[in-house]
Parts: sequence; C-alpha cells; structure tokens
Amino acid sequence: MNESLLSGGNVIVQGITGSHGAFHTRAMVAAGTNIVAGTSPGKAGQDIDGIPVYNSIADIQADMRVDTTVIFVPAAHAKGAIIEAINAQVPLIVCITEGIPIHDMLQIKQRLKKSGSRLIGPNCPGILMPGKTKLGIIPANLSLPGTVGIVSRSGTLTYEAMASLTQRGIGQKYVIGIGGDPINGTSFTDCLELFQNDPDVDRIILIGEIGGTAEYDAADYIATHVTKPVYAYITGHYAPEGVQLGHAGAILHTLHESANAKTAYLQSSGAHTATNLVSLIDFVN
Amino acid sequence: MIERVKLLEYEAKRILKAGSIPIPKSYIPDPNEPQFLPAVIKSQVPTGGRGKAGGVVVVNTEDEYKSALGKISKLEIKGFLPKTLLAEEALAIDRELYLSLLIDKPSASIMVMANSNGGVEVEENSEDSYWKQSITGKSDFDAIGQSLADYYDLPDKTFVLQDLVEKLYHCLVTNDALLLEINPLVITKDGQVVAGDCKMELDDAAAFRHPDWDFEAEKTESNFVTLDEKGTVATVANGAGLAMATVDAVADAGLVPANFLDIGGGANEASVLAAFKRLMEYEGLKVIIINIFAGITRCDEVAKAIIAARDQMPSLPPLAVRLAGTNYEQAAELLTDHGIAIQPSLADAITAAKKEII
Repeated sequence: MNESLLSGGNVIVQGITGSHGAFHTRAMVAAGTNIVAGTSPGKAGQDIDGIPVYNSIADIQADMRVDTTVIFVPAAHAKGAIIEAINAQVPLIVCITEGIPIHDMLQIKQRLKKSGSRLIGPNCPGILMPGKTKLGIIPANLSLPGTVGIVSRSGTLTYEAMASLTQRGIGQKYVIGIGGDPINGTSFTDCLELFQNDPDVDRIILIGEIGGTAEYDAADYIATHVTKPVYAYITGHYAPEGVQLGHAGAILHTLHESANAKTAYLQSSGAHTATNLVSLIDFVN
Repeated sequence: MIERVKLLEYEAKRILKAGSIPIPKSYIPDPNEPQFLPAVIKSQVPTGGRGKAGGVVVVNTEDEYKSALGKISKLEIKGFLPKTLLAEEALAIDRELYLSLLIDKPSASIMVMANSNGGVEVEENSEDSYWKQSITGKSDFDAIGQSLADYYDLPDKTFVLQDLVEKLYHCLVTNDALLLEINPLVITKDGQVVAGDCKMELDDAAAFRHPDWDFEAEKTESNFVTLDEKGTVATVANGAGLAMATVDAVADAGLVPANFLDIGGGANEASVLAAFKRLMEYEGLKVIIINIFAGITRCDEVAKAIIAARDQMPSLPPLAVRLAGTNYEQAAELLTDHGIAIQPSLADAITAAKKEII
C-alpha cells in the first residue's frame, strides 16, 4: 500500500443512487475526489450531479479506467459488490457498508488472496488525505493538511482524533479507518508500514479497541519496524467483560483482549499511550 | 460489533438433526404424560452450569417425571427461568469428548477445536490442551477425520469423525453460525457417536437471508450496557468506539459513568427518546452527555431528535451536548434557538457536565 494507490485516481461509487451513496458522492467531490462514474443495477443512463450511472463496473470499464471503488450498497448485496470489484481487477476497494455477515467476509478474504486488489474495510469510514482526496465518509471540513498519520478501527473515534488535532493546529497526511469488523481487508500493520515508509509522515496515531488481537500485531510491528513516534489509545477501559463465545470463546477470548492489557503491551513496544483520547491528544501536542 | 443469536439446546439440536448429525432421541415434555422413560429432563436456559445447578435430572418413573418437571420449570439458573424443557433418552456413556467449530478471526478461517476431556469439567482444560485445525478446503475433511481419531484415540472412528466434521461444517456455513460447540460429544457403550449437548450461536447480520429464523433465545444486547446503577453521568454516543471513548473520558475525569450506549448511525427522534427513557431509570442521574460525531449520520437530524425528545420529557436532567461533523452548522443553530448549549469538544462537554454535579 502506498500514497499513489490511496490517491484514488479514477474513482467510482458502487451504490451511487442510494441516499448515503448520493449524499457522500457529493461530499467526496467537494473534498477534491475525482469521481468519474457510479453503479446502480438497472439505473444506467441516470446521473448524480452530472456523474454518469452505469449498471456494472464492466460497463464503466468499457468507457474508462477504474482505479478505486467506494462501496455504499446495503449489507445484503455487499459481498456481490466486493466480488464484482475484485473480478474487475479494481486496485483499491473501499467498503463503507456495515453489517456484512461474517461468512461472506470469509469468502471475500479467500478471493482477495488470489487477486491484486486491496480492500479497506468493511464497516469503515474510509480514507482521507486532507486537501487532496477523500474515499469514504470522513468529514473533510474537520481535517487539516499536515504530517500526522492516523489509523483507527473505529469510525467516529477517527473523526474525534482528527478534529482534536485540527483544533490544535496539527495537520494530517493520512486519516484511515480500517473498520470495526473482526475480519477486514487492511490491518493496522499495513497502515503502519505506509506511515513508516512515507517521508512526509512524522508522527503516528493508532486507535484500537477491546476485543480481538490486531493491536498485538501492530505493537510487534512497532517494536521491530517503526522508528517514528507512535501515540496509541485503546478504547474501552471501563467496558465490562466481553460477550462470551461459549467455552471455546472463553478460551480464545481472555483478559488478553482488554484495553488495559493491549495498552500495556503497546507501551512496552515503544508506543506512547493514554487511557483516554483527550489525554492522548494533549500528549501529541 | 457482532450481534449473536444464542440458541437454546433444543433449538440447536433441531438444526443438528436437519443436518443428519446424531442426537439423542427426545421430546418436549407434556406435563401429564411422558413419551418414554427413563429420560433425562433438561432445563432450557441460555447459560452454562445448569447440571451443577440442578437443571438436569434423570427420571425413571411417572412420579419422578412429574415431580422433576414441576421442580425444574420453577428453578432459576443464573437469573434465567426456562420457558421450555427438553426430555431425552439417557445415553449409556462410555466417554465424553469436546468438539467445536468456530470462526478464527486472525486467520479468517473456520477452525475445529477438540479436547479428549469433555463434559462438565471442560472449563478446567488449559488453552494449550486443545487440538486445533483450520479447514481451508473440502479436501481437508479426510485428514481431519484421521487426525481427530488419532487425537481422541478412537482408531475405528476415522470415517465417522470425518463425516461428523463435514456435516458440522455444512451446518455452520449454511446456518450462518459463528459457533457450533458439541460438549459433550458422547461415545456410547455400544460405540455410537452422539451430540450430547450443543451450543450454537448465529450471526444476526445474516438474518436477511434466513426468513425462517424464529428462536426463543433473545438477541444479546450489545448497544446498551449498564456500568454502574448508581452512576451520575449517563452517556449517549454514536459508534461503539466513540461510545467507549466517551465512557473512558468521563471516568478519567473523576465522574461516575452509569452506562455505555451506542445509538448507531440512524439516530432519530424515536431512538433518542427511547434512550432518554432508559437513562431516566438511573436514580442518581445528574447529567446526560451526548457525544455525536457525524459522518454518515447528520448533526441536524440528531439536533431535531434531541429537541423533540426533551420537549416530551419535562423532567429530563441537564444535557451536555457535543455534536460535530456533517451538517454541524444547521444543528448548532437549531439547538441554540431552543436554548440548548452546544459544546465544541468532548473535553468541553465533560467540563459542562462537572458543573451539574455538586
């Protein structure tokens, strides 16, 4: 994953005629994104503020190159939309849709492995490069161009971190929400690698959550590969013990997944940590 | 956040039966007359440990049957009263094993877990003692049957176990299950392999393709959690991450958060009103912090919802409202017109909340 991939190129929107799709297409255009077309089965020939609507990605590709797709289709059709984009060899797929069944994601991961496409999400706010391009729903008016890289599992918490930095005059090069689902396309580690290798980025903010083990992989990567300062916050310090997955779950989901355990591990891996976001942002300042 | 539908044993076993997986003969007991005896009467409650709590009783006579039905139907187990009981044939048990299929998130695959020590004592097994194997393709079942037979030390059951795992796999996939746990997997004295108990959890996100889903088990609620009944600060936020972060910040500021509440992306008048009604049940409540960061949500819609809800609830405690994001300007104007102060950041909302708590 590199800056040129995330810059979007020719961007399309799958589900462009839906209420979210149309609303956020306009917001993306306003933020500087080059949206060339959209899909909505059976609605070819319509347009959204002059952006042409097609029935399928293949139909768009007959007319122009597609570098990125942003997906807003409902959960019941999201697997089909992602697989369509993989089959069309779209290099970057950003899936905003929330509530995709986990068995659908298992199948999508199998297909991704055999493809050249990168998936961001699902159930994510997407990517914002302030002043350049917006692929998703991150509110661009609360960002500021700069040198911080933000990566987060949470949608709204990503905005919170970004807006807090902006309020203090600290700008961002990348704001990336990788999504809150247990199985997703792009990991913390992928984003840390991007930030470490981009000479424009001088500080990194990582926001994790209780549950799962993705933050441990991130911490190991920080310890071994990241030389830039990392500021990390894990949300959910006061969350009661999580939902149990029967006996099997109780075995696989231990205190290891708590905010305290993850924070301690990130700290021992060299990250600066805080127990709430307000303190973390004060730290970056 | 995944919403899981936890099935009761009898519901899970119906699904196993439809998948041709061997289960004990059973019936839903009629209070007047047993279908067969002897039988095991089992309380159908959505929790573990019912055997130790007296919720599983072997009955041999009609008197024992009637007395057990009466007792178990009134027996509360970890706060649950059974709506249904299950009667099963009493198996002649030789061995009790553990077998489950679940979704392993880090590897994004379906994993088989086994332990040769099954039954009620399974909690004493250490994590390292489990046999684990990912299913990566249909050709894996032969190998899994062989290695499971070796692991359980059941050399004559290779094909039975292969067939069982394959059927459980299809059951997991076709029912959009997150977990299918057979514990105990019973080896009977005459060598049959039978699912003695079954715990099954379904992925509620897939409900749209299962119009037949209709279960007694209720969905676990994950969007609203009480943290402290005596808390003074109630919290409302959108997105699980922001909702948890709001609680973290409130607690770190020395205040006592009563709850966690994620009202999600579709915050509207009805959902805000419903949230306020639940929060009003906290007796020590002094202030409600609302922390909404709108991406797909629109601030003006949330503002309208807050105003409408407040107008319908005159006894609502003070609100510390922080909105940001999409359509913020319209929202700020609406709230200001209705005399509700709007805070620029979460830190400011917490400062405002502190002033209400003396």
